[in-house]
Amino acid sequence: MSNSLSFFIVIPVYNEADIIPEVLLGLQVLGYTGIIVVDDGSTDNLRYALRNFSIYFLRHEKNLGQGAALQTGFEFARSLDAGIVVTFDADGQHQAIDIAKLTEPIISNTADIVLGSRFLSESTEGISRIKKIILQIARLINFIFSGIYLTDAHNGMRALNRKALGLITLRENRMAHASELLFEIRRHRLRYMELPVTIRYTAYSKQKGQSAIESVKILFDLVLHKLFK
Amino acid sequence: MSGIQIILLTGIAFITLYFLTRLHRRAVDIIVLFLLISCAVVFILKPELTSRLAAKLGVGRGVDLVFYISILIIWFVLIKLYARIRSLEENYTRSVRENALTHAMKLPGSSEV
Repeated sequence: MSNSLSFFIVIPVYNEADIIPEVLLGLQVLGYTGIIVVDDGSTDNLRYALRNFSIYFLRHEKNLGQGAALQTGFEFARSLDAGIVVTFDADGQHQAIDIAKLTEPIISNTADIVLGSRFLSESTEGISRIKKIILQIARLINFIFSGIYLTDAHNGMRALNRKALGLITLRENRMAHASELLFEIRRHRLRYMELPVTIRYTAYSKQKGQSAIESVKILFDLVLHKLFK
Repeated sequence: MSGIQIILLTGIAFITLYFLTRLHRRAVDIIVLFLLISCAVVFILKPELTSRLAAKLGVGRGVDLVFYISILIIWFVLIKLYARIRSLEENYTRSVRENALTHAMKLPGSSEV
């Protein structure tokens, strides 16, 4: 890395042993070293798949959900005195090459948190129509709940500076954390920015990805979050 | 005593027994429980009381009044239970997370890119 800030990539992983080596290689090729893998109680042989990689490895003994894995990664990164943290999906959807772009506003201190958006770029490969519609509805729901209107409702790629890392706490263990993140941005008045990232919908990620039913569950979690926080 | 009264009273007796042997023993809980049980017993034995009360409150039949109030109580219990599940989940998460953070390790790796 070209800057003096300590830089970490947090990757929540749940049963992605088949694809994770490829993802990590993609990061290593570009010279990224501070990688924190949070194993969210995987039941496949993740440790074995990771044997060739020099990374930080944390394991939830039981599956808690992606939000919880991210929060664990954040807390660990904090303990390493991270200056910049990037969150990255384990399923091969994200492109390592987008990381540099995403962290630029953090390095130049023009944003506290940068959110990846698949809809700002023209290069969203292979997204399905139904997924597009669901994401549009989700955008609107996020706006109603958080007052932040983004172009993408649920993108796992983000960059945080030290301030954001110190303030943001995700209490939603499951997928509703993506919306909770917006509440946190609002609550702590963080400077945010959206930048285009490429999401590659491979056969693998489509099969692993969330179904439409899943988005109803997220909405349910969100309503309960608002009621019970 | 009619059949339904016997069924309801037996049910209440079992719930009371279960509560006293298995659940909380805080004074407030026990007082609330006894209030609820005495209400239930009185209304089961004297159903016409609910009708009189219902008429005063502008509800048609006594059964309807009991039904509406039951819904309120059930919602209250549901919300209490849900809040409890959430706090349990938070504790659980905290403990799993602490464990993960304590046992965090740096894998040595073997391949150089």
